[in-house]
Amino acid sequence: MSVAEPMAAAGASASEPIVAPGTPEVDAAPETQSVPWSHRHLLDVDRLTADEIDLVMRTTDAMREVLARPIAKVPALRGRNVTILFYEASTRTRVSFEVAAKNLSADVVNIAAATSSVTKGESLVDTVRTIEALGADMLVMRHPASGAPYLAAEIFGGSVLNGGDGWHAHPTQALLDLYTIREHLPPVPAAPGEPSPALLAGRKVVILGDLLHSRVARSNIWTLTAAGADLWLCGPSTLLRGFEAWASRGAAGRRFTVTSDIDAALRDADVVMALRIQRERMASGLLPSLREYAARYGLTRTRLAAARPDVVVMHPGPMNEGVEIAPDVAAGPNSVISGQVTNGVAVRMALLYLLAGTRT
Amino acid sequence: MTAGAALDRLAAGEVGAVIAELDIGRAWLVDPVSGREGAGELVVRDGMIEAITWLEGDEAAGVDPGGIVVAPGFVDLHAHLREPGDEDAETIATGLAAAAHGGFTTVCAMPDTTPALDEPGVLARVRAAALASGSPIELLAHGAVTVGRAGEQLAALGELADAGVVGFTDDDAPIAMAAILRNALAYAGALGLPIVDHAEDRALTAGAEAHDGYVATVLGLRGWPAAAEESAVARDLAVLADVVRDVPGARLHLTHLSTAGALELVRRAKAAGLPVTCDVTPHHVALTDAWLAGSRSWAWDAGADPWTDGSAVAAPYDPGLRVNPPLRPAADAAACLAALVDGTADAVATDHAPHTSVDTDVEFGAAAPGISGLETALGLLLAAVDAGRLPLARVVAALTAGPGAILGGRSRRRSFGFVEGAPADLVVFDRSDRWTVTPEALASKGARSPLIGRELPGRVLLTVADGRLAFEDA
Repeated sequence: MSVAEPMAAAGASASEPIVAPGTPEVDAAPETQSVPWSHRHLLDVDRLTADEIDLVMRTTDAMREVLARPIAKVPALRGRNVTILFYEASTRTRVSFEVAAKNLSADVVNIAAATSSVTKGESLVDTVRTIEALGADMLVMRHPASGAPYLAAEIFGGSVLNGGDGWHAHPTQALLDLYTIREHLPPVPAAPGEPSPALLAGRKVVILGDLLHSRVARSNIWTLTAAGADLWLCGPSTLLRGFEAWASRGAAGRRFTVTSDIDAALRDADVVMALRIQRERMASGLLPSLREYAARYGLTRTRLAAARPDVVVMHPGPMNEGVEIAPDVAAGPNSVISGQVTNGVAVRMALLYLLAGTRT
Repeated sequence: MTAGAALDRLAAGEVGAVIAELDIGRAWLVDPVSGREGAGELVVRDGMIEAITWLEGDEAAGVDPGGIVVAPGFVDLHAHLREPGDEDAETIATGLAAAAHGGFTTVCAMPDTTPALDEPGVLARVRAAALASGSPIELLAHGAVTVGRAGEQLAALGELADAGVVGFTDDDAPIAMAAILRNALAYAGALGLPIVDHAEDRALTAGAEAHDGYVATVLGLRGWPAAAEESAVARDLAVLADVVRDVPGARLHLTHLSTAGALELVRRAKAAGLPVTCDVTPHHVALTDAWLAGSRSWAWDAGADPWTDGSAVAAPYDPGLRVNPPLRPAADAAACLAALVDGTADAVATDHAPHTSVDTDVEFGAAAPGISGLETALGLLLAAVDAGRLPLARVVAALTAGPGAILGGRSRRRSFGFVEGAPADLVVFDRSDRWTVTPEALASKGARSPLIGRELPGRVLLTVADGRLAFEDA
């Protein structure tokens, strides 16, 4: 994927975004905008309200409008330093954040942990203190340990954006997924005199695959249930461990269904999101073989026929085509996978913008 | 005369100085050996308990268990004092000072030092450090079961027994091979000493970070199943039953049990007459895994879901909450409490495990497991008493006579109750006074505790060990 690709694709592949009233004027500096957003950090999506998620969606609409311009750039974060610190290999998320920050005219510093003093044994706390001393205003971080961004947020004076921590959370991915679903499944308009229904009310959304190790799935559980979706989690039982406890303990209205029965899960689904299966899962005895996984849980055209005809097919990437998703499904007419990448830039611009507005 | 006034008569003695004269008047005395508690007076002269007077009728009026309480000095079966080898985290001197501040007058050091306490030379070094500290606290020690705690070859159990260890444990390097455990139980049993096992099937806990359940699933922490503890307890009990047929003196002590299932196994084994004892920690009684999500509710007040019940007031993933075994859900904490109430748990042990900030100011899963517990144990248990969940007499018994019995006469103390004419070994605390846990308030070097900033009931006013001053509230 080239850096320019998401921007080039932005205007072309999706319908024209509509900027709703109450959305920030994103050409202006964020601290000049009055928006109902109070989170200095974005560490998780578990405490975002439906209204806050809606604000992210609307701000993303505004960023989509920016991306459709001939020069896809606004001066909103001019003079701010966004440092991107990744302790795990990543192409799309890291580049997406970098493009997003540059589109907002921020100065961007990229640190890959493998080339920093982390390999000399420097602790996360020391690294974050150093980054702050070097003038960072915002810190985007990815870390293999669940919860690591909370440690960073405790000591960092600016805003921390979680770019993925362990198995725990991937907030920007969940928000871009929701944005992408919203784009393809517009909400039913409210009847006269009635309140607007939840964004995904009446929509069946299936997350399929390795739930156990997936931060994408965990964050999507919060955002999709907040949006009112009928959420189903499906995969081999070894990779669903713990989720039944979550499904039965979650607050009323935030419940979901957990099953190993892929046919039941896919029946009449509006959205299917396949997750990456990693080879290490075989070594740890969670699965017999990739071949068996592909045969029993791979998202194929035959299986997808049980879903609604206009089903939206998603994947957070990177894909193992032929394992969790068949190539003709990944590239098929229902796939919005490249749209997810495009929307990733817009969503990250929106979040950088909203977080920057909490500081002066 | 109030006890407070009585304590003023201690002429600001130095730690280690013999208590020349101490009159504790009109306080609530709890004697776990006689089973008696009530209003009373206690006089210490020249380090000895000279007189104990129980007050009756009008004389006892106005004295209640919610004020000044006097109990025998506490016994901790399980403390990591880190010396030799990790003196940045704790030393014998600071560990004993922490014990005194917490009301403990007898402390059993764990053998996971560097080098491990697997031969008498290390024990001699530990004892020398205790002597040099000037602390009157009684320092006892467990020896390692296997050489280097490696789980392969029996350590010098006989020599260690002769040198005075009180039991054998490989603690958090639990004995993986059942054959080694069998031999250790038999050999130590013939020496009259228990094997103290940390029950954990490591095959089920590889990489584990938090109790395998709702909270760990939501937080994306690697699950630590209850089955890892329960299957290890079941194995230990089966091996014990096998050994005890040949070696009637074999004894097993299971330390820091944390699950309802493990405690139920012990309850049944005791009913069947097996020579097994166990302890629970204050943190497994009072805290739950919901604390990892930011809850700060006591276990007995826990709501259904820290994400919605309003209990989450702190940031999640506090590395100070990483502990082995992990904090469990409220149902398991309630089982620990119930085991204390019904006596299935013989003792409370602190599992005092101090660390330096280098090992704790890190990502949750990278944090060294352990909570500094000597100074907060009493407060956590009194919180349960205040909530009406635990009788005060059970707290005192589980901190004194219960663990004292497991020491099997290897303590210098002849009794874990009040005995006229014996050296004074006691703690005086004020249940009507609260104190705030701060790094400055803790004597331990490992001042990182998940309770920092928290107010606890029960300020310790005075600790006397072997007739000498161990701690006095300034």
